[in-house]
Amino acid sequence: MPGKSFFIDTTLCMACRGCQVACKQWHDLPAEKTVNRGTYQNPADLSFVTYKLVRFEEVVVEGKLKWLFFPDQCRHCLEPPCQMTADDPKAIFTDAATGAVLYTANTKNMDAKAVVDSCPYDIPRPSKDGTVAKCDMCIDRVENGLLPACVKTCPTGAMNFGNRKEILAMAKKRLAVVKKTNRKAKLLDPDDIRVIFLVAEDPKLYHKFAVASSTAFDISRAVALKRLFRPLTRLTDRL
Amino acid sequence: MKITRRGFIQISGATAAGLAVSGLGFDLSPVRSHAQMLKTKYAKETTTICPYCAVGCGAIVHTSKKGDGRVINIEGDPGHVINRGTLCSKGAALSGLSENENRLLQPMYRAPYAKEWTPMSWNQALAKIAERVKKTRDATFTKKNGKGQVVNRTTDIASVGSAALDNEECWIYQALMRALGLVYIEHQARI
Repeated sequence: MPGKSFFIDTTLCMACRGCQVACKQWHDLPAEKTVNRGTYQNPADLSFVTYKLVRFEEVVVEGKLKWLFFPDQCRHCLEPPCQMTADDPKAIFTDAATGAVLYTANTKNMDAKAVVDSCPYDIPRPSKDGTVAKCDMCIDRVENGLLPACVKTCPTGAMNFGNRKEILAMAKKRLAVVKKTNRKAKLLDPDDIRVIFLVAEDPKLYHKFAVASSTAFDISRAVALKRLFRPLTRLTDRL
Repeated sequence: MKITRRGFIQISGATAAGLAVSGLGFDLSPVRSHAQMLKTKYAKETTTICPYCAVGCGAIVHTSKKGDGRVINIEGDPGHVINRGTLCSKGAALSGLSENENRLLQPMYRAPYAKEWTPMSWNQALAKIAERVKKTRDATFTKKNGKGQVVNRTTDIASVGSAALDNEECWIYQALMRALGLVYIEHQARI
């Protein structure tokens, strides 16, 4: 499988949120007005202007308090359900060189709710005018030989980026090391997505959508039909 | 093949279009909504040190070469020995120090019991600070303590230095404060 991938080692993440801020900074996204909700997770959720968010969870596992950090972002699926739902390469398409799943301003013309609901990881967020936005893998940086802003800034090495093959090898190597001290360690959906998380506890404890929710992967009837007729609609587009 | 001027323009036009599209690494038909040129491509690069904590990470500041020279981007300096290109959330937000609509551009003054802050010139502000420091110091300076020991101090003025001060600035600052007889000299660099 060519293209690029991320490896996010949550066991190294110290939740400094450098990635979250670097993402905002590079994309010139505005700050959000927030209130103190008793957690460092801030803002509360991803939004049209927040593509990257470090999620904080305090859980008790086997009588011990664990503070779990999950730097959430678009997984850039190998077969993106959002792209299938949109079924309009002018709105959502996959970049051939990197595998980045990219949204354009044309997402405005689609059913935003359908696109958001199709995501197994609950990532895309619509604006008021219906345009949908999410992580773009810093495609401008990557095409120019730079690392994505979040990976470049990460002080602990939790965020990694590179050619998919090398990233997969890195993830498996690191998993073997972490497994020695933590039997619950695992990689999340490594064969389906380009953003591979390594977690040390049950992934559901980190975030409800840390792994693909099975219900979301059930393709709706409308999407299935669109998929079936796709070659035909592409052909008519060209005529 | 003989190429007329019109033919040449047509060919070069087609080549340019082909180049423009091939750079996208994507099918010819869809149109990308955003340009793939780095926003820092034509920017001037200057190195700096993050002013926040004592780690002293290096950063690169990208400023516009044309017009107002404002900050376009600030990110970690990969060549810097301390941080090797990385920055924490505070460092990653450095550009917000200068490019910020909430940034104060001149001293603000709130008169006693007033609710509103009003802008004030630097000359006015410095004169006012000097006047009040002198007044308080003259009124509270003690040469000897209760035991008759020489102390030459005032305990009615305290100083809180900024974490954005560097080592040398801190030295000059504390030298001034000690000369005035202050004993409460504080600095906020332990975040």
